[in-house]
Amino acid sequence: MQQTSPYAICAEQVYKQYKNGVQALSGLSLTVKRGEIFTLLGQNGAGKSTLIRILTTFLKPGSGKVSVLGLDLNRDADRIRAKIACVSQQTSIDMHLSLRENMMFQSRLYRIPKAAAKKRMDMLIDAFDLTQYLKYPVSSYSGGIKRRLDIALNLMSEPEVLFLDEPTVGMDIQSRMAMWKMMEKIREEFGTTVFLTTHYLEEADSLSDTVCIMKEGKEVAQGTPFALRQYIRQDMIRITFSSKSAAGDSVKRMSGLFLPDRIRIQDNCCLLFTEDIRRDMETANVFLLKNQIPFLGIEIKQPSLDDIFLKLTEDSKQEACI
Amino acid sequence: MTVFTILWKNIKWRFHNKLTIIITLTQPVLWLVLYSTVAGQTLQGTEIGNYTAFILPGLMVLVSFSVCSSSGIMNYMLKAEGSFYRILIAPVQRTSVILGQILEGVLCTFLEVGLMGLISLFFSVRFRTGISGFCIILLLIFLIAFFMSGICYGISLILPNEMVYESVMNAIVLPVFFLSSALFPVDRITGILKILVSGNPFTHVINSIRSILLGKAVSGRELVLTICLLLLMGGLGFCFAAVRLNRETDL
Repeated sequence: MQQTSPYAICAEQVYKQYKNGVQALSGLSLTVKRGEIFTLLGQNGAGKSTLIRILTTFLKPGSGKVSVLGLDLNRDADRIRAKIACVSQQTSIDMHLSLRENMMFQSRLYRIPKAAAKKRMDMLIDAFDLTQYLKYPVSSYSGGIKRRLDIALNLMSEPEVLFLDEPTVGMDIQSRMAMWKMMEKIREEFGTTVFLTTHYLEEADSLSDTVCIMKEGKEVAQGTPFALRQYIRQDMIRITFSSKSAAGDSVKRMSGLFLPDRIRIQDNCCLLFTEDIRRDMETANVFLLKNQIPFLGIEIKQPSLDDIFLKLTEDSKQEACI
Repeated sequence: MTVFTILWKNIKWRFHNKLTIIITLTQPVLWLVLYSTVAGQTLQGTEIGNYTAFILPGLMVLVSFSVCSSSGIMNYMLKAEGSFYRILIAPVQRTSVILGQILEGVLCTFLEVGLMGLISLFFSVRFRTGISGFCIILLLIFLIAFFMSGICYGISLILPNEMVYESVMNAIVLPVFFLSSALFPVDRITGILKILVSGNPFTHVINSIRSILLGKAVSGRELVLTICLLLLMGGLGFCFAAVRLNRETDL
């Protein structure tokens, strides 16, 4: 009955405090549907890596209920391990083994019969465009190729859930885009649920079925990228100035017009979060022209995922789950 | 089966890092070739006879210490870039992970002890033992290496980096080596030194191997006690490694 759960992962009120006293998770709850790309967003220290370590059975949660593929994390860790794989921030390839040996080693850890493992290995080498690297030692591979191999070998066991902990960190844009294609391929061709953590909001926006934003060890919002945009249900007025300092000065002068928590400076722009777009647009325009404050442009803007992320992670009081 | 998978990967690591074989063999071989030659001339006329043959058992233990220490280094390398953490979230028992690594240390010890035995033949060392004696020596070396590998595995999971690990291992291994019967007969030692040397389990192991190797009378009781002691130490070393590995995931 548990196996038919539509959720790949369910976490309820998970707490984790390290022995050094750091509270990494503070009552986090989230759900991940089977077959989706789920992205976890959060600032450094938000608890993303701790959560991945718990979900991959590496760490034990302090308290809370966690199930992966319908199996209880505390009771069935061994069974869960057979069904998941994790590509961590550091590549986990053994440099003393060849590409094929690395992949076969992984298959032996998961007790995959040799013939099936060879077939799977050849398919993955082909799918991840690794054929041309077979003749070279693994230690000579570039970071991007190592990462590709790391993902490929983690797919040797046909995991139902693949955890990717910041897989594109430090990559150039071309490699990142190639990685995005690969993640879509993993979901579409292999039907694997992908649990991703990232710093790159565009990555979350373009790839994810569901995004969860974390702050201080707790989720602050979860939903589709589209739903998260709707969540704010606020348009913004963006006023562009010639410099960040000019934007700062103007914000100070406008402080009487708008509540401080409705104004934010982003680069050389001033963002006004508004509930009445027509009224506030007029107020801002009149104020700028009347006071002869030079500005480069003023426009109505839909919030991006970046805006939502910044707003949610800045405002500790706002907590919601969609 | 998984034990052999881990063992296979670790053997590949060892042969990929051949330098670890050469380095761990160098110091004992220098003792065997240079020290025994020089000291052997000084000790001519004593009851020791062939000094190279006399110190060979102690150097077998020393080579085991060196090899097992280097197998602890493997953990640091595989943690920094390798499969250390990946294995811990694979459906593999922790005991298999440890056993796979310990057995690699044991096999490499056998290789290096064998090489030392071959080199010693060029220094007029003659083994006066039969198959049974040879098997007992193999068993003793297996147990020493098993114990040391377990201890080194556990220590490598406690200490923060390779430098500190190397220093600590030297600080452990050298006193244990010098406070044993590895280099000189200990019959005439008295006082606190006698207590320390007699209390050192490796003194009894070295004495047993020496007696068997040189065809001298071996006390069956002492041999059984030595094997029991090593079995106990090996079990404790394994448990220590298991506790430390479990703590890796209990932060």
